[in-house]
Amino acid sequence: MPKLGNTVEECLLAKWRKQPGEAVAAGEVIAEIETDKASFDLTAPVAGTLLAAFFNEGALVPVYTNICVIGEAGENAEVFRPSPGVPPPAPEPPAVLPAASEVAAAGAAPAPPAAPVSPPPPAKGTLSPRARRFAERHGFSPGTLSGSGPGGRVLERDIRAAYYSSPRLSSLAARYVESGYEIQAEGSGAGGLVLARDLGEPGVALSGVRARIARRMRESLASTAQYTLNASADATGLLALRGKIKAARANGAAIADVNIGDMIMFCAIRTLVEMPWLNVEFSGGKLYQRSSVHIGFACDTPRGLLVPVVRASEKLTIEELAGRIRALTQQALDGSISPDDLAGGTFTVSNLGSFGIESFTPILNPPQVAVLGVDAIQLKPVRRNGGVEFVDHLGLSLTLDHQVIDGAPGARFLQALRNHVENIESLSGLRFQETLHV
Amino acid sequence: MYDLIVIGAGPGGYEAAAHAARMGKKVALAEKQYVGGTCLNVGCIPTKAFLKSSKVFTECKNAAAYGVSTGDVRFDLPAVVARKNKVVGTLTRGVESMLKRAGVEIIRGHARLASRSAVSIGGETLEARNILIASGSRPAVPPIPGIDSETVLDSTAALNLTSVPDRLAIIGGGYIGLEFASFFAAVGARVTVLEMLPQIAAGTDQDIANRLQQALRKSGVEFKTSCRVTRIEGDAVRFVSQDGSETSLTADRILNSTGRAPVLADLSLEEAGVDFDSKGIRTSDQGKTNVPGVWACGDVTGRRLLAHAATREGIVAVNNMFGGKDRIRYDAIPAVIYTHPEVAGVGKTEEELRAQGIEYRKAVVPMAVAGRFLVENEGGSGTLKVLAGARHGEILGVHAIGDSSSEFIVAAAAMVEFEMCAAEARQLVFPHPTVSEALREAILELKQ
Repeated sequence: MPKLGNTVEECLLAKWRKQPGEAVAAGEVIAEIETDKASFDLTAPVAGTLLAAFFNEGALVPVYTNICVIGEAGENAEVFRPSPGVPPPAPEPPAVLPAASEVAAAGAAPAPPAAPVSPPPPAKGTLSPRARRFAERHGFSPGTLSGSGPGGRVLERDIRAAYYSSPRLSSLAARYVESGYEIQAEGSGAGGLVLARDLGEPGVALSGVRARIARRMRESLASTAQYTLNASADATGLLALRGKIKAARANGAAIADVNIGDMIMFCAIRTLVEMPWLNVEFSGGKLYQRSSVHIGFACDTPRGLLVPVVRASEKLTIEELAGRIRALTQQALDGSISPDDLAGGTFTVSNLGSFGIESFTPILNPPQVAVLGVDAIQLKPVRRNGGVEFVDHLGLSLTLDHQVIDGAPGARFLQALRNHVENIESLSGLRFQETLHV
Repeated sequence: MYDLIVIGAGPGGYEAAAHAARMGKKVALAEKQYVGGTCLNVGCIPTKAFLKSSKVFTECKNAAAYGVSTGDVRFDLPAVVARKNKVVGTLTRGVESMLKRAGVEIIRGHARLASRSAVSIGGETLEARNILIASGSRPAVPPIPGIDSETVLDSTAALNLTSVPDRLAIIGGGYIGLEFASFFAAVGARVTVLEMLPQIAAGTDQDIANRLQQALRKSGVEFKTSCRVTRIEGDAVRFVSQDGSETSLTADRILNSTGRAPVLADLSLEEAGVDFDSKGIRTSDQGKTNVPGVWACGDVTGRRLLAHAATREGIVAVNNMFGGKDRIRYDAIPAVIYTHPEVAGVGKTEEELRAQGIEYRKAVVPMAVAGRFLVENEGGSGTLKVLAGARHGEILGVHAIGDSSSEFIVAAAAMVEFEMCAAEARQLVFPHPTVSEALREAILELKQ
């Protein structure tokens, strides 16, 4: 298992693409692995036969651990099998502890609970023989059941009650449930019998990456006090600069292809340098000021949402920034990005402007406290010279964590950002030769 | 203040009233004509009494086939009617005493809704927390010129004839018309059935309906399908055939069995704000109408015009009235046609499965696979068909023609109701020797 970045200690073996006995060519994909950020293809370093696979799909494998062996057919692969690194979990303390008062009465200082003496009290959930017989006879698997017997032992009356209170399925419905269908509605048959029509289509488990995105989004909303400020900036300057860059490149000028997204990122970085109170992380009740702006940008890839991070972005010129963004985007799209480039951001930009989105509520990526949403450019009526003119405006949606950023400082940040956007050409430091103006 | 007043003492109303009374509720049952309703008095029961007499007649004529010699066998319609009346009398008295034992107060008279929570009967207004309308249905009268002429009978009148007509024309090849056709043909009438649809016994599995038509034809019934009756002139029935030509046939009696219409008039439904149309009162699967506290069951709802469906709907309504949770399910309501031979079916027909795009497998067996069928039906034939889901083998429908299939179709109904799969149904033990074993054989024949 390769180490995919400095911070990665273990990877999920998501899927075997080759089975033992199959021939593999050098460079051929043998497995899919996932870090907690993204999934990667694992390729065979040499050609040969896959002799052994040491882990099942779904296993978490520490880095630098042998996961399989490629060699000549007939070779002994077992010598490469990793020894079980993790000792089996220690036995749990007994379920029933002496009451504190008893300990006090014995005059002894509270001591750590002793190891269970033989015979141990039956663990919660063990079935009495009669209960087991009932379960077998009724083809019933009670799952986790807390019994009414000593030490939580499940007695026949417990399993009987569970059996008769659990939904009863018609034999047809039972067959569907076996194939993954789920009980969704109350049983509509006689006496509440669950019929086939009461079942819903089988659900599909989320992929590893998707499940992690889901968990992070949930955690984000649960652990922060998010609010979004919406504003718009005059985009005339952005569009003009973009036009100049295009024209200059068309004329063979050695200038990077800086697009509007890059320009907004650049404005955000400059604003963060000036107003560092947004370039912080809030974790465990503590605020951590980050001296460098590691700016992440949301990237829609075939493997799901990824957020590549441009490190120390405040040190880059707008052209360097554009180049770095382009390179990271390409790596994210083709799956070659290093997990290290997907971590450590201090601020995030999410651009949905190209989809015509007029405003939205970006979700924070904790412990970051701010995320900037970039919206579409739209015409907006502006009072000017005693009349009304229609002027291109760029929508900006800034989500902040109210735990640490109040409305006014947040609004000031957005105001400063607007100023930078509206004065992008001077901010960018790009110079154009006068002769380019045709 | 009553907990429940039921309007109509047919199998929907009286069973519901008894059920509620047994729950300890104060229940009144209003009936303007006869306890037991259409079913007991002029429907299910009397027609079955007629059909039994005709079957005895036929069997006596064929007694030699069973090694029994008889003298001259004659059919005595007045005696048959008298026996029918005796059976009906016994049953209606039985229902009345059952209702009394249950504690239901029977009130004679015409009932109508006085408000959403009161019923007026013969000038008296009775308050009730719940009102269940079970007013039933009556023979429908189609808009055919001459349908009101003297030669035309409805099913009620047909049960009180004093002599067997020589020539009988039956308009409508549904189960009512077919049962009368079977009866009158067996007792010597020349019977012609006129049916508008290409198939008789609409709603029955087509294979079974075709076999029924063959069997009835063999017993002397003539069929004119895909024909529309245009006019009745004295003893002549004029009709347009499928090819567009108009012809007529003459008959001594003409039976109108074109269907049944809900009894909606004189109930003050509109005044109480109860939603209904020409098909009946609209009800939910719990038996609720749109008016809280007003419920309906049976033929008056136009849902499923069968006595046993009405009974179930009434029980469902009562259960919901008094806090229970219940709903009517129509997937497994058996239907029987008591012709000779009789037809019984439950669940989906092959035509329904095809129309709904459900993949199925089927097994068709002759009833004679059950030894008892041969014993009971000298020279008779029958067929039983089982339809099951293609993938899991759940029993979707069972359709049979052959005598006593009505007595075991309930076993098939249980299989359909509980979504039993063939694998489980094969574990059931059928008594031997019985005709029901044909069902077992068919289930065994279903491909795994």
